Amino acid sequence: MSDKTQAIFTGDRCLSCTSCMANCPVMAAIKDYRGPKLVGPAHGRMHFSQEDIEATLEFCSNCKSCDRACPSGVAVSTLNMLQRAEYYKTHPHTQAEDMIAHGERAGKMVRMMPFGATFANIGMEFGKTLGIFSKLGLAGERDMPAYASTPFKDLYSRIKQTAGGKKIVMFTGCFINDNEPQVGEAFVKVMNANGYEVLIDKGFNCCGSPLVVTGYLDEAKQHADNNADRILEWKKKGIPVVTPCTSCSLMLKEEYHELFAEHKFHEAAENVYDAFEFLEILQERGEFNDNVKPISQKLLYHVPCHLKCQAIGLPAANILEEFGANVQTADAGCCGISGNYGFRKDKYDISMKIGAKLFERVKRKDFDKVISDCGTCRMQIHHGSGIKPCHPIEILAAAYQ
Amino acid sequence: MEKATVVVIGGGATGLGILRDLSMRGVKALLVEKNDLVNGASSRYHGLLHSGGRYAVKDQEAARECIIENQIMRKIGKSCVEPCGGMFTRLDIDDEAYEELWVKGCKDSGIEATPITLDEAFKLEPRLSRKHVKSAYLVPDAAVDGFRMAWQLVDSSKRYGGQVKTYTEVIGFDTVNGELRGVKVRDQFTGEEYEIGCDIAVNAAGGWAGFVGKLAGVEIGVQPDKGTLIAFNQRIVNHVVNRLHKSSDGDIFVPHGSITILGTSSMSVPNPEDTSTSRAEVESLLKIGEQTFEDLRDFRILRTFAGSRPLYIPPGGAVGRSASRGFAIVDHDNDGLKGFFTIVGGKFTTYRLMAEKMCNQICAKLGNDTPCRTAEEPLVEEVSQEDKDRAKKFFPSYGVNLAATRLGVDRFKKVVERLESDPESRELVCECENVTRAEAEEICKDDTSFIVNDVRRRTRIGMGTCQGNFCALRAAAVFSEMGVEPTAKDSLARLREFLQGRWKGIRPVLLGRTLRETEMTRAIYELSMNVKGGAPQ
Repeated sequence: MSDKTQAIFTGDRCLSCTSCMANCPVMAAIKDYRGPKLVGPAHGRMHFSQEDIEATLEFCSNCKSCDRACPSGVAVSTLNMLQRAEYYKTHPHTQAEDMIAHGERAGKMVRMMPFGATFANIGMEFGKTLGIFSKLGLAGERDMPAYASTPFKDLYSRIKQTAGGKKIVMFTGCFINDNEPQVGEAFVKVMNANGYEVLIDKGFNCCGSPLVVTGYLDEAKQHADNNADRILEWKKKGIPVVTPCTSCSLMLKEEYHELFAEHKFHEAAENVYDAFEFLEILQERGEFNDNVKPISQKLLYHVPCHLKCQAIGLPAANILEEFGANVQTADAGCCGISGNYGFRKDKYDISMKIGAKLFERVKRKDFDKVISDCGTCRMQIHHGSGIKPCHPIEILAAAYQ
Repeated sequence: MEKATVVVIGGGATGLGILRDLSMRGVKALLVEKNDLVNGASSRYHGLLHSGGRYAVKDQEAARECIIENQIMRKIGKSCVEPCGGMFTRLDIDDEAYEELWVKGCKDSGIEATPITLDEAFKLEPRLSRKHVKSAYLVPDAAVDGFRMAWQLVDSSKRYGGQVKTYTEVIGFDTVNGELRGVKVRDQFTGEEYEIGCDIAVNAAGGWAGFVGKLAGVEIGVQPDKGTLIAFNQRIVNHVVNRLHKSSDGDIFVPHGSITILGTSSMSVPNPEDTSTSRAEVESLLKIGEQTFEDLRDFRILRTFAGSRPLYIPPGGAVGRSASRGFAIVDHDNDGLKGFFTIVGGKFTTYRLMAEKMCNQICAKLGNDTPCRTAEEPLVEEVSQEDKDRAKKFFPSYGVNLAATRLGVDRFKKVVERLESDPESRELVCECENVTRAEAEEICKDDTSFIVNDVRRRTRIGMGTCQGNFCALRAAAVFSEMGVEPTAKDSLARLREFLQGRWKGIRPVLLGRTLRETEMTRAIYELSMNVKGGAPQ
């Protein structure tokens, strides 16, 4: 029998209870979407009857609120993504879809050119003003994520670390590498402060999350195979893989085996940690370096959906609070962007409607800083409220002096 | 007084087959059924259109009949037969010598049994036990939907003037000097009693044939033999999967639309109304089933159900599994009652052949020499691709083909028109089985819809994952709005009887996820809505 955590298998557990529909932020924003239950689990039983695709499948943002709401452990959103992959077997991808799924490829191209980042950013600026992005099918209202002048992997090589001690491998994730290298630097600083040398494995690919949601399942499988094989190599050496990117950690820890049902994905998952999850484990073991100067800030914490569904609690809030921060969770639901979903022209309005409650909360400005572990959540909050959030690891890094 | 040349008693496959056959030969025929159609063994069964492989060793005549009727049904019943094919698998614990006998038996009976490698078998049926399965063959088994077939037989009969009265119970016979003059009946809802005049009456009451015979003063050797089956929430198999061994309990899995049916047991019962099932029967079926599919217990069970095979027991004959699956036609002229026939025994797969033979005798009596054409003419016309394409815009996904074969050409058109003109009718009454309000409304108006369960049998409302949890209320509401009086107005009674009907099959499988589901149903109906009878009784 195949792996019982595989999404297809979990569909049989659905009791039809409708919790997923009651908790779906997309359904709340647009009534055209028939809802997670009907698309994934219910239709899974009906595929025998004819070749067909649920017309409203496109609305699922893969935010995974349904998975979290499900009292029966159904991998609802993954069932939807498997259906989406089926759809794209017979339907061509648009140019925009190709772009938003392949951020890693674009990043590599940019880095091959001298001053590539500068030109790319100027190009994107023009693209936005001239309405080119909009014509392509992208959300013209948005800024595309700007490329950092130096990618994290280059910055990393300049960081002096003490070798010879305990080690972790950092899974950088595309967004931190290309767009927010400062998060990567903060990550290294925090890990170093806790006695860990941070290694980088240049053989890792993009985790595959943007590929899965855009229906490039075969490519995602190649990424999954490569990444899992490398994670297992590190596991053999007793070195954990840690990532400050929430969607990457979710992909590596859960979605691989839900999608592809091979035992190795379970084994690899055991060696992967979200950044603050790892730090909290150190704290529990009494190995956490608490030589931290008090954090006296008031922080508004938007907890990413993809963190919530990892069932690890709120380790970032716990740690920051321990050192004096006043952390308030925004408690305003999904931000709406859900990876590349909000970058689609036809999903922009839905994305902004979902995020409206969060934007309102942020605009109250009763805090010093907004924090969120997820890169696209940070972009969305910035776009929707004008206030730029940071990764909680940046707050902690600043406290290690 | 209402009159027909022939009154057919019993709305099972046999009775309906006879009604169609007679109507097509130009005989004015009327069918009476005390309940809804196919309330007995014609729907409380596997839904298996036998290739004959099951009988290839023990009864080659039955096997030959099966393969011929199987081919006919595939041709005339495109809207009720799913040609999924079948597989026979021998397990390590099964007798190897039987396999040889079986291969020879198939060959002698004209059943194509193609041996396949184990690799091929596991590819076709990935959930088969790698540990136990030792050999596999493909046979032309198929799945057949007893509900659809029944109403398609009605549609076909109606085209030729045939009539059907459901919930009309036979309470006696009018005879003059040993000659039948009419059948006395009672309307189950109004209690009204009346007579239908006829020249001939056919007792096709299946398990109830003995009772009907008694009303006419004749004795009929019919032994109800109860078989219990389990319905699983999903398709576990792609083919009908049979154990290649001497026929026994729990050794056939049939993919039946969105679900899988495992069965059956065999137990003599005094009363054909006994459709009770027990936890012990479920356990024993699972125990056997998991020899073929090791992970069987991981799959969600929806419910159990049972029906009684009407086994014909000639004086001194064997009962149970050893009883013949053959059928008998009795002309009660020999018992001193002219114009009364009984047809009993047989099996679903060969219902058409049984009907043909019965009608040949009736027509001989009537001096009607029109040949039987039931094997040539399709039961119903198929819905055109053009109509399906038009419907696709309004139907839920994966719903068009199922609704088209359920509804037939005319009703399908009406439903599509409703969906087109009234966007609210596109709402799903039943989310698990994809039934729109438009379809439910259309069926509620039908002349055989008296209670919500009748609508369920036509549409599959309430037969999917949630077993009525969300659809019971909606279906009862639609029925009270669109259904017939006097039954429609008592909507609460209709809701209760629908819920109780669902729970009947759930009670013996109240464990695991099924228990969770049921507790939710109880919470909704008993606790939140205070529907008395909202809990399993």
